[in-house]
Amino acid sequence: MRGGDGAGDVPRRDDTCTGTGTGTGTGTGTVSEDGSANGVAMFVAENVTKTFPGVVALRDVRLSLEPGSIHALLGENGAGKSTLIKAVTGVHALDGGRMLLDGEPFRPRTTHDAIARGVGVVHQERNLIPRFSIAENIFLERLADGALRRVARGRLIEEARHWLELLEIDADPALPVERLNVARMQLVEIAKALSLGSRLLLLDEPTASLTAHETDTLFGILRRLRDDGTSLMFVSHKLEEVQEICDRVTVLRDGENACESRPLAGMGRQDIVRLMIGRAEIIPDWPARDRTGRETVLALEGVSTPLGHEGIDLAVREGEIVGLYGLVGAGRSELAKCIVGKHPIDGGTVSIRGERVDIRTVAEAVGRHRIGYVSEDRKSEGLVLMHSVLDNVGAPVWRRLASAVGLLGDRRVREHALPFVRKLEVRTPSLAQSVGNLSGGNQQKVSVAKWLAAEVRILIVDEPSVGIDIKTKAYLHELIRELSDAGIALLLITSDMPEMIALADRIVVMGDYRIRGEIANDRDYDAVSGRIMALIQGEGEAAAPIIGRSDPTASSTVSR
Amino acid sequence: MNGARAGGLREGLRENDWFGPLLVTLAAVAIVTALNPAFLSPFNVQILLLAISVNAMVAFSQMIIIAIGQMNLSVGAIGGLAAIAFAGMMEVWGVPWPLAAVLALGIGLLAGLANGLLVATTGISAFIITLATLSIFKGVNLGITEAQPFYEIPAAVKSLGNDTFLGPLPWLVLPCAAVVLGLWYTLDRLSIGRAILAVGGNAHAAELSGISVGRVTVAAHALSGLLAALAGIMLVGRLQLGQPTIGDDWLILSFAAPVIGGAVLSGGRVSVGGTFFGVVLVAIFTQVLVLFSIDPFLVQIVLGVLILWAVGINRYREVRSRRRAGTVVT
Repeated sequence: MRGGDGAGDVPRRDDTCTGTGTGTGTGTGTVSEDGSANGVAMFVAENVTKTFPGVVALRDVRLSLEPGSIHALLGENGAGKSTLIKAVTGVHALDGGRMLLDGEPFRPRTTHDAIARGVGVVHQERNLIPRFSIAENIFLERLADGALRRVARGRLIEEARHWLELLEIDADPALPVERLNVARMQLVEIAKALSLGSRLLLLDEPTASLTAHETDTLFGILRRLRDDGTSLMFVSHKLEEVQEICDRVTVLRDGENACESRPLAGMGRQDIVRLMIGRAEIIPDWPARDRTGRETVLALEGVSTPLGHEGIDLAVREGEIVGLYGLVGAGRSELAKCIVGKHPIDGGTVSIRGERVDIRTVAEAVGRHRIGYVSEDRKSEGLVLMHSVLDNVGAPVWRRLASAVGLLGDRRVREHALPFVRKLEVRTPSLAQSVGNLSGGNQQKVSVAKWLAAEVRILIVDEPSVGIDIKTKAYLHELIRELSDAGIALLLITSDMPEMIALADRIVVMGDYRIRGEIANDRDYDAVSGRIMALIQGEGEAAAPIIGRSDPTASSTVSR
Repeated sequence: MNGARAGGLREGLRENDWFGPLLVTLAAVAIVTALNPAFLSPFNVQILLLAISVNAMVAFSQMIIIAIGQMNLSVGAIGGLAAIAFAGMMEVWGVPWPLAAVLALGIGLLAGLANGLLVATTGISAFIITLATLSIFKGVNLGITEAQPFYEIPAAVKSLGNDTFLGPLPWLVLPCAAVVLGLWYTLDRLSIGRAILAVGGNAHAAELSGISVGRVTVAAHALSGLLAALAGIMLVGRLQLGQPTIGDDWLILSFAAPVIGGAVLSGGRVSVGGTFFGVVLVAIFTQVLVLFSIDPFLVQIVLGVLILWAVGINRYREVRSRRRAGTVVT
């Protein structure tokens, strides 16, 4: 699955290839070169330039997309991917260069224009109306011919069924989408884009919230769409996936082409990474550590929760990184939230440094037991985006820093917070900057800095590198390692296998709200990942209950 | 399959926003009638229906704005302005009442359009915009009336506002019934109604799908103004005078009934039936206090408790459905 040989399954001739080699040298785009490709290319971007006040977001970016191919658009955060997508979908107007669709000039002024020309997009965030049926969501803006016309439900449902069948979605089109799981919602969005007659479909991180099995299903569908002649542009941070499914790749770096429409066949992961960050990826090769002699800081014994956890045994020692691996929905984040007092624990014991504790609120976990939780969802759980860096970092320590009567000066918080913000190299113009204006990587640094400032002894880090570019990710990894060297007990939750194997000292595998087993991590990627997958699949078919439960008709009869 | 469908029906009833308030209404009627049979006397029923007919218009006027996830504080001010315009045109200019009614409805429509256009074009929250227009509309009202009522109401209007047909049924029930059916059809079956709920459910998604959020906002506010005006006109008939204070006390009820009927203030979820039974419940409680000669000031307290009870139920259902959604996702 991770072999990266997917690109080879449909060999295509490369006579339109305009691969400009490696390196940043995009040359001065010789338009004639692209021009010759117009006969075949379905979509062409020629020297596309877009400037925002103070920033050149795209400079002479070129890209050409053949019909019936899957094209990867890669780049780190801020490289210009989203700007390019927004230009193609009519959100941004270009400042220079031009785009061609089927050889005709393409200059969409609104999303509507783009849709009308057959350009569909599936955004990273869900864009569905929860209480509306699948059918209504698919045909949302054309439920009827006029505002005062009757909505023909029966006809919509029939038409929706056609698209659901095409995408192999086994669900009743009359079902409200709020009853679907994330993967199916994703497919409904794709159905919606296709039903608009999209021949060019842009997918922005479509697999971000999917399990491995769901991703496989999605890829099967994407391949079929490709074979039927749809052109797809695929944006993802997961290079394994890109190598599995894409035919060609365009990499952007700092708003310029690092490579253009190059065939993926023969390119290795390191080649792509080098194009993205301008150098090879530094894979941390930390030696395995032995922490067995250290004191156990956090211990769970036979813990059960109302959320469904049963018999959870887990121990984290001082200076140890314990990885918690499992598929999405295995109950890992939920367990973390129970430990920090967000949700109750109704069975078993939790002890900290050998002492039995009963943590009822998050305030208690932070204030008394010094447990921090870096949420996987930093935008809605980890940070207050509209507040300043200072307020975000300082929030957990306000109570501690306040004087006896509750007075709290900004200066006190600043003195306390600044060293941590500096230490993590958060790139911000000032502490007063609102966090929402920082890049994803810097936001993640702030959410870690917050807990460092709180001087936590136990830190639970949940999916630390979601939506973070490779450079920042490597930095975060070093940071996590440093923290554990400094003695903090770390519980690391991640679905990113390489990350898990690089960081964890021990890996505990969870499935279906239970502990499936534990593996000592000897850093041998193939062996360890093999053992992890074996544990996940250990109990019958691990994937089966997930599919079963995602079946909405089943869920309505099975009550928990 | 059959069993599943029966289960679906039972679940459907439980999920329906109007079913709970309906049950409570029936229970309340049964209990009150048992305690005091006079509750179902024709006269009492007539009073009850009159109150329900007018109040339902007030509640629907707010409900349509709640549906798009906004608030309209100016419902009462628009209703009051339409009411004194209706009465004033008949008294001062001698305009025939049907024409005066149409013109007054037009005023309500325009006032709502103004709200909608201001909200849609400026992007300022409807709360602030309608707070401002509330003050403006009320000021115009007081400027015209100098706080004095219009007394010269044509006999036809008085009779329509109070007389009955088919026993205890007041004529005012007719416009109310028409609005209930029309609104239900609009929100459930018409394209514009679905667009209103889509914008309330997820404005961003609606926008990206090509729905004009601005146009939908304007349409909803226009409809809201129209309904508020209708309420004002009906009240003139019922009170038999053009009171400048009409609409002053509508605000709490306008939010209470939709919320009792299961509406979610963030938008996307309202129920015409639920809101209607919300109005009925409030009317029954008010009536009961009169019937048992309990201090009328208690009405306010009872209304407050009703709102808390309703949002409590809504919250419970939300938590439960999220828990169930959780089992779907995991």
